[in-house]
Amino acid sequence: MIRALTLLLAALLALPIAAEAQKPIKVGMPMPLSGPAALFGEPATKGAQMYIDEINAKGGVLGRKIELLTRDSKADANEAVRVARELILKENVDFLVGTLTSAEGPAVSVVAKENKIVFIAPIPKTDQLTAPDKLHPYVFRVAANTTMEGRSAAEIVARWPVTKIGTIAFDYAYGQDVTRAFVEHIKKIKPSVEIVDQQWPKLGEQDYNPFINAQMAKKPEAVVSSIWGGFFVTFSKQAKALGYFDALKYNFIGLGEAGSPETTKAMGADYPTGIWGNSYDAFYWEDNPGAHKDYTARVSKYLKDEYPSSWAIQGYIGMQFLVEAIKKANSTDSDKVAKALLGLSVDTPVGKLILREKDHQANRGQLYGKTAKDAKYPFSIMKPVTYVDPTKFMD
Amino acid sequence: MPDLSFVFAQSLSGLTAAMFLFLIASGLSLIFGVLRVLNFAHGTFYMLGAYSAYQIVQWLGTGPVSFWVAALGAATSVALLGGIVERFLFQRLYGKEELYQLLFTYALVLVLGDAAKIIWGTQQKSLSRPPGLTGALSLFGATIPYYNLFIILLGPAIALGFWFALQRTRAGRFIRAAALDRETLGALGVNVNALYTGVFVLASFLGGLGGALITPMRAIVPGMDTEVIVEAFVVVVIGGLGSFWGTFLGALIYGQVLSFGILFFPRFSIFSIFALMAAVLIIRPWGLLGKPLK
Repeated sequence: MIRALTLLLAALLALPIAAEAQKPIKVGMPMPLSGPAALFGEPATKGAQMYIDEINAKGGVLGRKIELLTRDSKADANEAVRVARELILKENVDFLVGTLTSAEGPAVSVVAKENKIVFIAPIPKTDQLTAPDKLHPYVFRVAANTTMEGRSAAEIVARWPVTKIGTIAFDYAYGQDVTRAFVEHIKKIKPSVEIVDQQWPKLGEQDYNPFINAQMAKKPEAVVSSIWGGFFVTFSKQAKALGYFDALKYNFIGLGEAGSPETTKAMGADYPTGIWGNSYDAFYWEDNPGAHKDYTARVSKYLKDEYPSSWAIQGYIGMQFLVEAIKKANSTDSDKVAKALLGLSVDTPVGKLILREKDHQANRGQLYGKTAKDAKYPFSIMKPVTYVDPTKFMD
Repeated sequence: MPDLSFVFAQSLSGLTAAMFLFLIASGLSLIFGVLRVLNFAHGTFYMLGAYSAYQIVQWLGTGPVSFWVAALGAATSVALLGGIVERFLFQRLYGKEELYQLLFTYALVLVLGDAAKIIWGTQQKSLSRPPGLTGALSLFGATIPYYNLFIILLGPAIALGFWFALQRTRAGRFIRAAALDRETLGALGVNVNALYTGVFVLASFLGGLGGALITPMRAIVPGMDTEVIVEAFVVVVIGGLGSFWGTFLGALIYGQVLSFGILFFPRFSIFSIFALMAAVLIIRPWGLLGKPLK
């Protein structure tokens, strides 16, 4: 009798735990879903959702499903902070994965620190996000940072037979940081280089003609740009008309994903084919890791796009790191997951990535290449595609 | 001292920017001058002009004239939309508080912006320069793309056409009269409501045309409306709200200050424009060629 009662009591006590186990793990995702940055925010959230759908189809993680709650951050730091707080306080999310611009990332990082919630940044590149004075136990980045991007560009430009270099970048965190990283690194590896001109249009500039004229007047032999997204389309249309790329003999490297399929696709024949560019991802990457081909096929189906977006992979990898960390910690407790993320190595579609313990930064590189025409595609592609592993020059 | 060919190239790029802005700001200024409404949605009409031109080119394919057909078709469809908006929504707001009018035009920005996103998605779109205007002219050591040259010539052509219509035609006289005294004009038997619709249609046409014609130089993206409206506002504030030649002058000044500002303050190009606007507002709060409001 007593034994039966004990069993009953034990069963009753176990009930709430079992019920608890059925509740989904909530992940909040602040991401620009309106305005020009929605172009990237939207596929990034879809990439995250795709990974979650795949995991949920296999029964979830720790027996629980994952639920993604997306909010429009409007590419604005204040709005990103507001929606991040709302997600934490009202929706009780367990984790944050998200933000896109280099203004949003550091702002949301502060919210994560206050609320002791793990925050994984899949896209923002500014070094400031994980700089020693800004680093805290809950912030992690699985994107490349500005040091890695600027230095990898320097490694490429150093091989060109040029010494007079110009730069053009938006005058805000990302543009300044990536330009500084490039200039410092190239001066170190090729001291003969001289920076002859630097242009700083405001973020979102629509008329580049005066900047282009001013730059051409200084006669650089090569230019490093970090004008990104739709702004690069605008910039290069105006530059091409002025004979800018011809004057540079196509010694031009467009950081900020200027070589991404969506940009070359949008411009078609207007794209300044022959320049160098980078991209987060390229579905036409031939000597890719095996897992990549598989990923590309799935994302193409998921986005219903023959030539899938290069930004989906950022959301995908961000969620991958979170889920692997939850598995490793065997818990959804933010402190335990944060510890599990330190030094965590994950097999992603671009190969094995490791989140470094000392600065919470993954060794995520980018795909680089000189753009060329290929009869297989109605737009320019990077050929060959080279994955620049940043491990050597991360410090 | 920079060499002269560079100064020449720089002033021409300022002129191109100016004539584009004139195209857009003139519609904004016209609506304010006659209807006394600050139409925030004017930038949205510009954006819809760009998207419509893109859409029409998709339908027509890339032929020798398809860009021009698309530009006119886009401007006409935006004009039509402007007419519908004015006739069925805007007309209810005349005589109401200015705040309601502002809120309404702002709501229009949001609604039409979302509609554009539903129709065309968030991916950036782009159109090529029309055949025949793809090359560039070399003049005094400066490269001037033919398309920029076309815009530089189009601006004054539209300005003169406008001036002629306002000064020399019957409709122009009515428009000028409506800007001065709506009630008296109505009492004289003129259908003021129809006149207002006409003005709104014309202004929307100009906005749509500006959007369509910018497509070879800029990406077509959601959000392009809010970027341009700020520039257009600065132009009309410098020139004088509601003043036609003021808008022209404001655009010219804006273009040149932007072009040469970056030489003197390379990192504060935008600052020189706002500094100029602040200076104008202090000296002549109603703009360079505007008249003080009664």
